[in-house]
Amino acid sequence: MENRVNIFSPDELMDYGRRIKILRQRKLEETKIKSKMKVYQDGDDYGSVPAPEDYEFKCIPNHENGSWYGYEGWSRNFHKLMSEHPVYIDSVDAFSCRWMYSMIWFDEKSPEKGLNWNPDYSYDYLKPEQELYGIVPGIGSDAHFGGDYELGLSLGWGGLLDKLAVYREKNPEHRAFYDAEELVIHGIQNWMNRAIDEAERLAEIEQHPVLKDNLLQMVKVNRNIVSGAPQTMREACQWVCWFNMASRTYNRDGAGFQLDQVLKRYYDADLATGRITREEAVFYIACLLLNDPHYYQIGGTDGQGNSLLSEFSDMVLEGADMLDSACNITVRVDRNIDRDFLHRAVDYLFKNRNGWPRFSGDEALNEGFMRLGYPESLARKRIAVGCHWMSLPGLEYCLNDCVKINCAKVFEIALDEMMGGEGPYSTERLWGLYERHMLRAVEVTAEGIAFHLKYQQYNEPELMLNLISHGPVEKGLDMTCGGAMYYNMCMDGTAIATVADSFGALQQRVEKEGRLGWQELYRHLKTDFREEGGEIVRRMLASSPRYGGGDTISDRWAQKLSESYAGQVRSVSGRYPGCEFIPGWFSWSNTIVLGKQVGATPNGRHAFEPINHGANPHPGFRRDGALTAMSNSICAIQPGYGNTAPVQLELDPGMGRGEEAVQKIADYILTLFQQGGTLLNINIIDSRQILEADKDPDKYPDLVVRVTGFTAYFCSLTPEFRKLVVDRILVQGGA
Amino acid sequence: MKGIITEIERFSLRDGPGIRTTVFLKGCNMACKWCHNPETLQIKPQLMVYPEKCLGCGACVRVCPSGARTIKDGALHYSRAICTGCGACANDCFTGALILSGREMTVEEVMEEILQDRAYYKNSGGGVTLSGGELTTQPEFARALLETVKAEGISTALETNMHAPWHVYESLLPLVDLVMFDIKIFDCEAHRKWTGVSNERVLENARKLAKTGKDFLVRTPVIPGVNDSQEEIGNIAEFAGSLGGAQYYELLLFNPLGESKYQALQTDNHFEGASPSPVKTADRLKQIAEERSGMPVRVG
Repeated sequence: MENRVNIFSPDELMDYGRRIKILRQRKLEETKIKSKMKVYQDGDDYGSVPAPEDYEFKCIPNHENGSWYGYEGWSRNFHKLMSEHPVYIDSVDAFSCRWMYSMIWFDEKSPEKGLNWNPDYSYDYLKPEQELYGIVPGIGSDAHFGGDYELGLSLGWGGLLDKLAVYREKNPEHRAFYDAEELVIHGIQNWMNRAIDEAERLAEIEQHPVLKDNLLQMVKVNRNIVSGAPQTMREACQWVCWFNMASRTYNRDGAGFQLDQVLKRYYDADLATGRITREEAVFYIACLLLNDPHYYQIGGTDGQGNSLLSEFSDMVLEGADMLDSACNITVRVDRNIDRDFLHRAVDYLFKNRNGWPRFSGDEALNEGFMRLGYPESLARKRIAVGCHWMSLPGLEYCLNDCVKINCAKVFEIALDEMMGGEGPYSTERLWGLYERHMLRAVEVTAEGIAFHLKYQQYNEPELMLNLISHGPVEKGLDMTCGGAMYYNMCMDGTAIATVADSFGALQQRVEKEGRLGWQELYRHLKTDFREEGGEIVRRMLASSPRYGGGDTISDRWAQKLSESYAGQVRSVSGRYPGCEFIPGWFSWSNTIVLGKQVGATPNGRHAFEPINHGANPHPGFRRDGALTAMSNSICAIQPGYGNTAPVQLELDPGMGRGEEAVQKIADYILTLFQQGGTLLNINIIDSRQILEADKDPDKYPDLVVRVTGFTAYFCSLTPEFRKLVVDRILVQGGA
Repeated sequence: MKGIITEIERFSLRDGPGIRTTVFLKGCNMACKWCHNPETLQIKPQLMVYPEKCLGCGACVRVCPSGARTIKDGALHYSRAICTGCGACANDCFTGALILSGREMTVEEVMEEILQDRAYYKNSGGGVTLSGGELTTQPEFARALLETVKAEGISTALETNMHAPWHVYESLLPLVDLVMFDIKIFDCEAHRKWTGVSNERVLENARKLAKTGKDFLVRTPVIPGVNDSQEEIGNIAEFAGSLGGAQYYELLLFNPLGESKYQALQTDNHFEGASPSPVKTADRLKQIAEERSGMPVRVG
């Protein structure tokens, strides 16, 4: 992208509203270009801009395979990239620069070529069982925990360098760690300094008085924070932008913070001294969200239980509304939430139809986390900063959303084992085998996580998030291997609906009704229902009462599955001192990949079709698609230790027409969380529009959907991902 | 106590205040030619046939006790005349080609479904709505169900055409928090022509209801070419306003979604291809209704 200058006539109106409209239009143009580039497809919108074609990063390998690993490898390459990174300055924007590359997307880190893990640390001995049970082990996965931005904001880059120097003295044995961290900061400062020079150059040329002044302000703001700690809201936002851009570039980290707490103090101080107007602050928030739609939380309570909602929370929503783009703001809903605020939040959902805000359930999350033995004050600080996950800012390492067990695969193995032997066959016997294999799958997953915790520092240390965490700098240890205060490791189950519906259909159709025998059923599964009469059998199984139907036979199986799974995950924690494994139910968009691992299942699913999404039932779970029935079912399978089993809703825009309807949706949200819900993602989508957009995505360049936990421009999704969204919407949206 | 239920719709947002469960009772004492739920007109269960979904497995033929399902020349046939509506075929049809509309359910069975959403009713000021068809065609079951719902402390509402004998309403009203009733056409003869019955009892019952002090609101389905004139809506609105005490008056635009159901029931659809009144017409009717009724008017 070129740095545009003198685009607008000097007398053209350039108020905040106009500026955001220009920025939004430019973002749509950038998205159009990005949608054709493979690295940007099927992921978050991010806020990056397309990279110039004439720049190519040449890495400094430190391994014979041509890639780089460990403290030295990552810091040197990151420093190099930061020092060369093209500088994009938009004179209309409040903040300097945008990011373009993530190092994990470079060819030298290609997962297909096996370069994303340091081959010197082999885990081949774990692979056979990981593959057997369809485990996404998380080994080598990065980020997916939250940093404490307040730490970084209070120190600034210079303060962080000072802190490194202090602890370097105390921990001389960890020189490699401190060398790497210093290099990382110097790299960022290089980028910042080049951005200052470029903004200064543009300011000299720019003729429009507002934009010229804006560029000069940019220069001033950035000079203040190259080393110093931010003092104003604009400086704080710009600092956050730099951290976010650098962290994205490093390893795509996207966790944000409690937006209406961290930035409010800067706004209050500015307001008290007359340095800022409310309108200006809202504009800054919009620009911050434009720079990157990180996961931010608003609302909820602080550690002492005081409400965090304020006028600033409303300003966050207003900023997001002003931008009207992809956004990942979560409203934390507690029983005392201001009902008017909740109503306004829901209103924005229907107004913009961009999948924001999302909502999280305070009570169930807190109570669950406290079951691990943590105090309530800590539980309240565990905020929503990821796709489906919460994190204690700067305190815990989690591998959230990186570790999955394919329960449908485990089910298939159990069924194969039972049917490979002599009868009698029964769901009871199958359940016994399933539990045995699931326990082994959980054990193997735990072994994989333990392996990761031991060796990830030699593969890909967390050199960005370490800086804003409590412990790594003090100890000279990476967050992945001893630097963190807590190790609350995510272990998500997937395919709960696929498995519950399969058990339910077997019990209903084979055992209760006797419509077909076990051998006959098994034969149809192994032939993917393609033999004569197979399709009728498939329909018969698929029409059995489903999970999500409301206290159905499969709902009861789902509860049993979740209870058993949570118990097994918790049971292995004792074997790894200092480490808690936390169960959850979430597939992310792995529904496709995990589905491809599993043949036909007794819920009438064809071989290799996707498993269910997250904790949601399979489409067609109930004829009327009643949201309350589905929601009750999902509430009933919450694993209950502070991680989530989210509800993903697709609503027709007509549902929120008028004040009364919006109020009803707000009431629904409150009730969902009172019933034990943990997270709610909502898409407001016109089913007719989504069908048209699926045929011709370019026709709807500004259509934003919440794919799983993240939002993305629909046009940037591949046909396979679009189908995922379309199928869900058509079933739930009432088409 | 058993009733014939067409459907139980949970998370219903348009059948009264708050989040509700609407129980659709089968059977109606009118025969509105525009009805978008034609499967609810008769009280007895009816088979709905969707031949495009049939895979030709023949299970329905094997289980049909009355010979209504047959195979002739390799093709499946259905005789509605001799079908008893027992549902054996639908029970063994897994493709969605045969669906039995109308299921005999006990009060307890209906309550099982209703109670699952109790928390949602409580938080939203919602509850349970009995609708139809016309709920008063099953007055005893309706009363038993309402009694049980009320005993659970759940708010209740009725959607009725007001055409039942007044004593039926008298027996139900103590168990009901809100009555939503239709005045479909003001002109008596036109009402008879389009619904099969006169509106005299409807209007009389409306007056009686208004005097009971029970919360109520008045609604009119706006049907193109039937009652979408300013005069007709104006007259109904004026009558609604004259009752005194209605919460509001609501104009419900024509719902074309019944078309596939007419096909599935193999009956004529008088309004095939019809569309809801244009926005401009609806806006004008709303304005007239507000002027003539002196009440708030909504368009749904």
